[in-house]
Amino acid sequence: MLELSHLTKRYGALEALHDLSFTVRPGEIFGFVGANGAGKTTTMRVVLGVLEADAGSVIWDGSPITFAVRRRIGYIPEDRGLYPKMSVIAQLEYFAQLHGVRRKAAHAASIALLERLGLADRAKGQLQSLSHGNQQRVQLAAALVFSPELLVLDEPFAGLDPVAVDAMTEVLHAEADAGKPVVLSSHQLDIVERICDRVGIINHGQMVACGTVDELTERGPVRFWVDVPGAGAGWYDGIPGVTLAQQEGERWLLQLDDEAGEQAVLRAALAAGPVHEFRRDRPTLTQLFRNVMSGTPVDE
Amino acid sequence: MNSQRLIGVIATREFMARIRSRTFGITTALTVIAIGAYILLQAYVFNKSTTSLDVGFTSEAQAISAPVRAEAASFGVTITVHPSASAAAGKADVRSGTLDALVSGSGAGTTVTVQSTVDPTMQTVLNDVAREQVLTEYLTAHHLPPSDVEGQLAFSVSVDALTPINAARVQQIVIGLLVAGTLYVSLVIYGQIVAAGVVEEKSNRIVEILLTAVRPWQLMIGKITGIGLVAVVQIAIIAGVALVLASATKLVSIPTLGVDVVISGIVWFVLGYLMYALLFAGAGSMVSRQEDVASVSMPVILIPVAAWILALTVAAPDPGSTATTILSLIPLLSPVIMPVRIAAGVVPFWQVLASVILVIATIYILAAIAGRIYRNSVLRVGGRVKLSDALGLAPSGKPVV
Repeated sequence: MLELSHLTKRYGALEALHDLSFTVRPGEIFGFVGANGAGKTTTMRVVLGVLEADAGSVIWDGSPITFAVRRRIGYIPEDRGLYPKMSVIAQLEYFAQLHGVRRKAAHAASIALLERLGLADRAKGQLQSLSHGNQQRVQLAAALVFSPELLVLDEPFAGLDPVAVDAMTEVLHAEADAGKPVVLSSHQLDIVERICDRVGIINHGQMVACGTVDELTERGPVRFWVDVPGAGAGWYDGIPGVTLAQQEGERWLLQLDDEAGEQAVLRAALAAGPVHEFRRDRPTLTQLFRNVMSGTPVDE
Repeated sequence: MNSQRLIGVIATREFMARIRSRTFGITTALTVIAIGAYILLQAYVFNKSTTSLDVGFTSEAQAISAPVRAEAASFGVTITVHPSASAAAGKADVRSGTLDALVSGSGAGTTVTVQSTVDPTMQTVLNDVAREQVLTEYLTAHHLPPSDVEGQLAFSVSVDALTPINAARVQQIVIGLLVAGTLYVSLVIYGQIVAAGVVEEKSNRIVEILLTAVRPWQLMIGKITGIGLVAVVQIAIIAGVALVLASATKLVSIPTLGVDVVISGIVWFVLGYLMYALLFAGAGSMVSRQEDVASVSMPVILIPVAAWILALTVAAPDPGSTATTILSLIPLLSPVIMPVRIAAGVVPFWQVLASVILVIATIYILAAIAGRIYRNSVLRVGGRVKLSDALGLAPSGKPVV
């Protein structure tokens, strides 16, 4: 289990991280979202030891993380980079060896991984001869080739087409299913919502919301979509604590002061006409994220 | 995993990537061609000292053919004697180029017929031999035994030089400068390759993943080792071709070069390379783009340049002077200046040992400094890192690895 505990990091006057804490459990995919400059990359660099936090600690399986443990992390940094003129296979063998895998085992692991990622036919080619998407796959392969115990991936989906995203997702699920904690950051919130078990939203170096996607989207105002054809305007008037949030033809989005009022709203709707839809409105992660960025509090 | 194995893995990648590169093949081939061409030019154009001439002698001149050939041989000119049936036949052979010269007549009437100009050695030899022939005839006619007269003349003026030039010493200094010059050029070239090499990981932005697996100093030492091995292979190829060609053309033989000079050259290259590679690696790590490498490595390049200028102006004219001795013991200058003194044979062994120890100590100090600069600079992509930041004197943004 990976625990980040009260991390603080300053760059001169700028506070990049402020008392940031979260936990990633074994077998869990943790999505880390936030605007550019929110502190996602800084957090990942602190986990990898590329940067030192001013305060706080990174805990792995109960003890402060060490260089030896960090060498067991599969990492895709924000600044991608591999040797452009080196062949794909040689590159992977090199990374495996740097992480302590013996030469023969490194070769076998590289071959196996390239087959798994569908790159076996490009093994001997120079990295620079590959398409952008395939170079990204090699980058992932470089992070996986030494069988890491933890994955930290900064924007792994950046610049990938939907097919490549699916392939990447499949690999990440397989790694998580093998019991590894996976931390990833992304701006593609629809992907995060789909594949991450838990999500943390970071803003100005602070964790503003953290939990499962369901937990997060349950927060916020209680709203119901009600589709009642034939009901006249104002059919809900008189129910205490109900206000109109939005109207689309004969569909109304009603905001309730508390969940207790929902049965009253449903009864009023049935009285007004045939009810075609009565549905709790949950914000998407994208809407939630917009609220966070615009300063609307996420918690009630 | 132990550091040596990691450094070995890094050095192996560096070595293989460079040795297979087109740059390595092209630069090695061009240097070999240039040096080979120079040696062949030296051997066959500038130093064409082994002249051989086909000379015809008419029956009249036959008597002097043996002494002419013997004396010419002592000047390095090989004369092949061809008896000519007649002066007319001999002249025809000279005209057609079959003979280089035709000697006819005897004594004061000796004539040499050539196409246009006579070989100056040949002319001197003919003059001597003809004069001696005339003198012998004259002495014999006056009943003086020629051998007595020759005995009286068998002396040469003794030379009492107040400041003699020792030819052997001059050759030694030339060889010393040759070694020092080779070292100077190699240190500058491979040092700059190291400076450009450490930028590679930064400009590729691969450094961040590398540093999650290895320590910065391991990466730096691995790179320096790999490039050093490439340098050794390249120099061995170039020097091997040069020595084979030079001894095949009898320009220089390996024994005259001196085994000790060659060995000391190799030792000084290894020590000098380590010292300068660390300096260049530290300098190179402060920038992120290849085009900025030249500006940061310039101050480092000035040191071997200064050493070479001092080798030419101070060490070569007087290898045994106090000034040369002091300069040769300054670690950063030793690799270029010490070989001049070693070739001249004027260094006490303790001084060689002392300079080697000083250089090794310097390598350790530079490794610590360069390692620190490298560690503090290598993750800072963007502009040039300030030296005070690189040395870790300013605390902001300090990486921990």
